Amino acid sequence: MTGSLDAATVEVIRNTAISISEEMGVALRNASFSPNIRDRLDYSCAILDPGGNLVAQAEHIPVHLGSMSVGVKSLAEYLESEGTSMEPGDVVLTNDPYIAGTHLNDVLAVKPVYYQGRLVAFVANKAHHVDIGGAVPGSIGAARELREEGLVIEPVKIVERGRVRWDLVKLFEANVRTPRYLRGDLMAQIASLNVGEARLREAAGRHGVDTMLGAWPRLIDHAERYARARIRELPESSRGFFEARDYVESSSGSLLELRLRLAIRHDSVEADYTGSSRQVEEPLNAVYGVTVAATVFALKSVIDPEMPMNQGFFRAVSIRAPEGTIVNPVKPAPVGGGNVETSQRIADVVLRALAQALPERVPAASCGTMSNVMVGGRGWAFYETIACGSGARPGSDGVDGVHTNMTNTLNTPIEVIEKEYPILFKSYELRPDSGGPGEYRGGLGVVRSFTALEDGVMVTIYAERALTRPWGLKGGRPGQGFTAKIIRSSGAVEKLHSKQTATLNRGDTIVIETPGGGGYGEPCKRRRELVLRDLAEGKITREAALQEYCTQ
Amino acid sequence: MRVGVDVGGTFTDLVVFNEDSGDLRALKVLSTPKEPWRGVLAAIMGAAEPSRVTIIVHATTLGANMLLGQAGLEPPSMLLLTNKGFRDVLEIGRQNRPELYNLFFEKPKPLIPRERRVGVRGRIGPRGEIIEGLDKDEIRETARKWCGHVKVFVVSFLNSHVNPVHETEAERLIREACPGSIVVTGSSVDPQEKEYERTSTAVVNAALKPLLSRYLERLHLDLKREGFRGSLLLMQSNGGIASLGQAIERPAAFIESGPAAGALAVSYFARIHGVARALGFDMGGTTAKASSIVGGEPLVVDEYEVGARIHMGRVLRGSGYTVRYPHIDVVEVSAGGGTIAWVDPGGSLRVGPVSAGADPGPACYGRGGEKPTITDANLVLGRLPEKIAGGSIRLRRDLALRALKALAEKIGVDVFEAAWSVVRVANTVMARALKLVTFERGHDAREFKLYAFGGAGPMHAAELAEELGISEIIVPPYPGVFSSLGLLLADYRHDFYKAVEASATDPSTEEKVNKVIEELSGKAVETLRSEGIGMERSRIVAALDMRYEGQSHTLKVAYNGSLSEAARRFEELHETRYGYRLPGEDVIVVNARVTAFGVTGKPRLPRSKPAGPLHPRPSSRREAFFPRDGWVPALVYERPKLRPGSLVTGPSIIEDSDSTIVIPPGHTARVAEDYSIWVRRG
Repeated sequence: MTGSLDAATVEVIRNTAISISEEMGVALRNASFSPNIRDRLDYSCAILDPGGNLVAQAEHIPVHLGSMSVGVKSLAEYLESEGTSMEPGDVVLTNDPYIAGTHLNDVLAVKPVYYQGRLVAFVANKAHHVDIGGAVPGSIGAARELREEGLVIEPVKIVERGRVRWDLVKLFEANVRTPRYLRGDLMAQIASLNVGEARLREAAGRHGVDTMLGAWPRLIDHAERYARARIRELPESSRGFFEARDYVESSSGSLLELRLRLAIRHDSVEADYTGSSRQVEEPLNAVYGVTVAATVFALKSVIDPEMPMNQGFFRAVSIRAPEGTIVNPVKPAPVGGGNVETSQRIADVVLRALAQALPERVPAASCGTMSNVMVGGRGWAFYETIACGSGARPGSDGVDGVHTNMTNTLNTPIEVIEKEYPILFKSYELRPDSGGPGEYRGGLGVVRSFTALEDGVMVTIYAERALTRPWGLKGGRPGQGFTAKIIRSSGAVEKLHSKQTATLNRGDTIVIETPGGGGYGEPCKRRRELVLRDLAEGKITREAALQEYCTQ
Repeated sequence: MRVGVDVGGTFTDLVVFNEDSGDLRALKVLSTPKEPWRGVLAAIMGAAEPSRVTIIVHATTLGANMLLGQAGLEPPSMLLLTNKGFRDVLEIGRQNRPELYNLFFEKPKPLIPRERRVGVRGRIGPRGEIIEGLDKDEIRETARKWCGHVKVFVVSFLNSHVNPVHETEAERLIREACPGSIVVTGSSVDPQEKEYERTSTAVVNAALKPLLSRYLERLHLDLKREGFRGSLLLMQSNGGIASLGQAIERPAAFIESGPAAGALAVSYFARIHGVARALGFDMGGTTAKASSIVGGEPLVVDEYEVGARIHMGRVLRGSGYTVRYPHIDVVEVSAGGGTIAWVDPGGSLRVGPVSAGADPGPACYGRGGEKPTITDANLVLGRLPEKIAGGSIRLRRDLALRALKALAEKIGVDVFEAAWSVVRVANTVMARALKLVTFERGHDAREFKLYAFGGAGPMHAAELAEELGISEIIVPPYPGVFSSLGLLLADYRHDFYKAVEASATDPSTEEKVNKVIEELSGKAVETLRSEGIGMERSRIVAALDMRYEGQSHTLKVAYNGSLSEAARRFEELHETRYGYRLPGEDVIVVNARVTAFGVTGKPRLPRSKPAGPLHPRPSSRREAFFPRDGWVPALVYERPKLRPGSLVTGPSIIEDSDSTIVIPPGHTARVAEDYSIWVRRG
């Protein structure tokens, strides 16, 4: 009964592969240096078969989902075209978004796993390094082309047959604002790959190389069958074509369009972004890997959150994004914001199409931005994303002050920030009235503000939904949009756009308000006790209760 | 007589140890959530004469049930006083959502609603400096306004772990303005950095205090009235016990202590057995639990979430209420006897997380269950006898076969292969839990011995040991009630800590650290003394939380008074744990920690000298399935008849009223002096 590739063996190897990718994640987190990885968990780990097909991935943050398979495949192709092979003990590193599949901050590291001289798999991880050089601290902000966003690392062997190339590490360190974090986090990525390699070799020893190699395609087939079965089970009313559009805001204030035609067929789904805006000379372009990740996020959430995610899933889902558009730009378009902001809008536009197909399963729009804030001065850089409101759901209010859709990172505790950096916080509170009114109210955004304690502190805001607002559904109203302003120590107030870099001097305060989620259903239908509860809690004001909720 | 009593939401488990006879009895009665002391009192009186009971160790989920919104248990009305502009820190938490792909996710309701969270003037800076003074009138006014409307005041200000002066001042002002009120401050219950965790720990403590102090006082009083003269002690989630008086000061430390007891029982036996690394594996009816014991102590995590949901052995972060107290690291997965096997939409065989529970239970129980469970698979494979629980439950093989047949057809194999597949997949799920508490915590599972208990643990242990590369399994006595036994084996334990935040290379730091350790040790000794534990029975252990400069997490390193020694150990540990060190980087002392143990007298469990190698007679034989050998005749032994020194070779099965041990071919079992059974390959 044992030895052959029966269903139980495949399931055992599937569980083993998932466990290993998760253990790699724990190893990366534990050994990492920066708050960005340790506390915000901005990383992902995966196992891929010798052909670069994703077989297992630890689910950490959605934006890396899907981009990992695109990334390792492109990396393998690149190495082949260069005539480079990956030997035992090698680790290859790249952050080129046009290979790795997200943005420069995300550094992809890949290691081959050999057992008895045969290639069993690749282990890979991707981690967001807080600063990767470029014009602004945190490396996301004004840039007209990729090289202005930071150091571009074309694929290199950072470890060659087990020996770390310290000369390269020093080269990288020389080009970033936070060299200690870079080195520590890089070592953590390597340590995590070593853990994955050791565990896979143990598994190969236990099950045999042939069993492992035979199991990979079976795992991929399983994910495909699973996805197709779930799509077949969708109600007949959800089959057909559904169109949706939404917008992102350029730094000059114009709107760029995202257009989607979603086809739900018998046992497959096709997402076609034809008609979306041409790529732009600012970082809003989302590389194809990001477009894949955001599309997959929305589909998985609505169809079945438990759906296994590997290459097999992509056989049931096809994603068409014409080259040269903001959803599949060509080099050298800058891409830093595509990863963090356009990705949110891609998820929105897919959810908006799905809301037509499966209305009872889809909430109103969540805030639609990660509200990125990068702060830095001489020798320091700090990055955070701020929570906001989630969209109201059919049957329940949105959630207040939470990370939504493509991100789920932790906040950095105020006490940790104040200890490390010359800034002092003034507030961190929910933003009343920001949730879209509705029978079910959209979640509230957040107000976060801090004061600079030294001169020359550079702040970059990279956010969205300042010109548009998170949409409601079924008569629910939109949530309030993003705002940011600086209150100078003199008392003068300067309003900021959603994408802007400014300098704070000692005593200047920046106040950021993140958007609320859209409402669901007619506000006048909201139960009176819920309106009164919101009022008592100060989540809505008296004026809003009177104006929006038909109360006297 | 010693009594351990573990009160859950539905059932109360009781274990009574009679030291004269060595008899250990376990009982299960229904809990009485509305008047919890009544049920406990009735249970104890039903099991033992109160005047003859010397020690009662109590674990209860009453507090956790209240936080989870159990009907009839309302949290008290509370007011949170915090910095102006920061009243939503408690509600926003760490801003993440507990589930990535669930668009309908919810976060737990804040224990203090927004209108009772008040921001006031005053601000402490990151180095303890006063940036803005406290407005005393504002505090007095707030306290007066809410006095009588709320039962508990919680005070939590930013950076108060560095300088608590504003919190202590506010506490004083509130007590003056509203005499008789309960006041809890963040810096007094959890003096560590990170404002959300500290505030949450304070709020959870505050929420529990009125209910639990009332409950425990009432219980104690009623017990005394019935003639009880012994000590009533509380089991804490750090695996130690505490006196009533101590426990009530930090109630959040004992609200989820049930799972700690099993790990503790393992640690007790591991110490006696001289086993340096022990892996506890407890498989019951709905879940399997794993815990690691290194050097005689269970692994402990410094933070947990009360009432959190768990997915595949991992806590869904943000799904419960954060408490930053040491907690025994127990990982739980959905794999127990009643866990259901099924085929997913992709055609793969899966086990769990759904369980058939106690009703209808596995198909073979004959109570209407039709879905195949792990128990059904074990029965069909000849591992489980057809009569269990001392003959009171008859298992129906025909019904198990019928349930498994449907599964077998779906995956295209015969019914026996389906049964074996269920066991294999279940083992993979459980192996995951065991790997989480070893490999993921930086320990190599191959260096451990596996302690298997719970009704089903000893049945799966041999194959799990092989999967993990473990060569020896120990099945302790009383495996079915082993967890509850842990309640009777605990020592007193109290953890103290304080932020230091200084460089290890700074020559003045050692003195600073020693001063803090001295202060904490003083508290520790005083606490144990208040519980009647003198110096001769106490053990004080110091440790430091250390990290490289700029790194955001810490490693815990034992401290013997020499800081350079501790820094050296830190670098060694960093290398073993993470595979690298950073010579030349500064090392920071983040917190100083002191743990105080008060050694208690332990019950005398039965022992006898082995009478040379004995070869007991099997009571019967039956066909059982083993992966490498297929169906083979296995000898069946009755455990109560096995004496120390007995040897049993596989394939064989050792049956007891509450647990079955499977000895595969090629394995040998030996009964030790203390009646534990040691199983080895070869």
